[in-house]
Amino acid sequence: MENKDIILSAKDVEIEFSLRGKKLKAIRKCSLDIYRGETLAIVGESGSGKSVFTKSFIGMLDSNGYITNGEIMCDGRDIAKFKTEKEWRTLRGKKISMVMQDPMTSLNPLKKIGVQIKEAIELHRGVKGAEAKDIAIEMLRKVGIPEPERRYNQYPHEFSGGMRQRVVIAIAVSCNPEILICDEPTTALDVTIQAQILDLIRKLKEELNMTVIYITHDLGVVANVADRVAVMYAGQIVEYGLAEEIFFDAWHPYTWALLSALPQLGEKGEELEAIEGTPPNLFVEIKGDAFAPRNKRALAIDFVKEPPFFDITETHKAKTWYLDPRCPKFERPSNIVNYREIIRRKVY
Amino acid sequence: MMEKEKLIEVKDVQISFGSGRKKFVAVDHVNFDIYKGETFSLVGESGSGKTTIGRAILRINPTSAGDILFKGQKINGKISKKLDREVIRKIQMIFQDPQASLNERAKVDYIISEGLYNFKLYKDNRDKTRKVQEALKGVGLLPEFASRFPHEFSGGQRQRIGIARALIMDPEFVVADEPISALDVSIRAQVLNLLNRLKAEKGLTYLFIAHDLSVVKYISDRIAVIYEGRIVELAETEELFAHPLHPYTKALLSAIPIPDPVYEKQKKLLVYDPSMHDYSVDQPAWIEIKEGHFVYGNKAEIEGYRKELE
Repeated sequence: MENKDIILSAKDVEIEFSLRGKKLKAIRKCSLDIYRGETLAIVGESGSGKSVFTKSFIGMLDSNGYITNGEIMCDGRDIAKFKTEKEWRTLRGKKISMVMQDPMTSLNPLKKIGVQIKEAIELHRGVKGAEAKDIAIEMLRKVGIPEPERRYNQYPHEFSGGMRQRVVIAIAVSCNPEILICDEPTTALDVTIQAQILDLIRKLKEELNMTVIYITHDLGVVANVADRVAVMYAGQIVEYGLAEEIFFDAWHPYTWALLSALPQLGEKGEELEAIEGTPPNLFVEIKGDAFAPRNKRALAIDFVKEPPFFDITETHKAKTWYLDPRCPKFERPSNIVNYREIIRRKVY
Repeated sequence: MMEKEKLIEVKDVQISFGSGRKKFVAVDHVNFDIYKGETFSLVGESGSGKTTIGRAILRINPTSAGDILFKGQKINGKISKKLDREVIRKIQMIFQDPQASLNERAKVDYIISEGLYNFKLYKDNRDKTRKVQEALKGVGLLPEFASRFPHEFSGGQRQRIGIARALIMDPEFVVADEPISALDVSIRAQVLNLLNRLKAEKGLTYLFIAHDLSVVKYISDRIAVIYEGRIVELAETEELFAHPLHPYTKALLSAIPIPDPVYEKQKKLLVYDPSMHDYSVDQPAWIEIKEGHFVYGNKAEIEGYRKELE
């Protein structure tokens, strides 16, 4: 983490969707730097925009979505300005690649596994036929599929969920991408398989020198994989920092709420600290801190003025008025301050 | 421990699908009791047969051997029509996926009251409306939601509708099949709290089916770990987490991601290899190794487990 070489930099990105004539602001001024070689996890509940934000890095927004503002710099080019598929194709696969959530739907059920990997290799690496096939078999071996020569000629339905996800990963990394985006890669899988897939991605990252972006809502997975964590709420990044800083020294009330709602922190027989209410309606302009209506300890200013980012350390920043020097004295919730001890006590 | 009333007894149950050469035994030699008022969890990976057992208790899947007893009465196989209706009423189910388990074309009012229709559990329409509204309020929804369609609700709200539908029948026993795994993190805590509150209010007993051990640890009194159709270990929650014995249980525990980045990055993953058991000579059995702690293993393994416990 010493020499910080920025591989992708998003600045003030705004993304809108038009739905039946109405405008939905899915991403509201999001800025994020991604460093070469790191594993970054983006956390948030469904609808927070974590998927939309990262999909904009690879040009896979739904057709009614547009980047209306901001820039995304990658390789000296502003990819937010890309219009045509042709432009995107110079980037996809080789530079940035993506693993989708559900291995049941991201493979073509009518095509053999091997052909689907070969297809990607032929398209991006410029090799054809038998040579591409050899690379494909090598990829299958790399992602830990036994008997790759035989498996090459099988169809997706002959694979279990975990094995299918391995195939999807093989396709994604077959062209040596520099950035791998994993969109909830393990939510559809069992815990034991999940642990294996996370291990596999970690191994491949080392082997191929990749930068990995995880999108997930499972804080356990985040703890397992991430060097850095960004927390998203209602289309904005509200806090980011090193994994230890986010887990052990959280500052944004939404991060508190996510951590406190973990069943691991709950005492049997006592209520969990649920997050009440629902995320804000993104069709209307949000005033102040988007999380304020659900925050029991919200300050008066939270409803009026949007907080800027405040530095906690050089790497750790949070977007909350609690960090303003003018903020009245307050105590963070005890289970956040003592998070580390509580988890230690519960687990071992 | 001694005087607890057994609500459900599962005795040596086998469940198979198909017949003849295509016969597939999904669940075999399953034994457990569920006491009144407890939350009993079945944990295992997909395909291990945990849902199949839950469905067998509800009489959806027929059993091919063994007995299932509800309040001391046999409820599997051929039973009288009267008992069948009682079972349908007293044992209810909450399903995994709230997107798939609600009839898209029916209004919430009908979805919740369908059971009431079938059992004529209301005096007149007014009484029925009142019951539906109470059920909605009970799960934290507004009574006016009764006139809406399922697609108008979020995942958490739909799951609440599913819970209301199960509870309007006044069940004694509820099978909750992964009720929160399809929900978002922030909603999970809400639904878990709701399930716990309803259990206390109505004196319910739960069979909780899940693969996420961190949730199971929070909600359940006792846990059974199932692997490929066989229960390999059963114990009280604290006991199971403190002294896991069977290698599969250990592997499963090691795989739960702990939300602590320092711990997570240095932990060792245990992988379970079923071929480690040599059952060719020494036949395994289901043994109570300590009061309330059962494990599946042969004589040599049990010896080893005993040593571990000391």
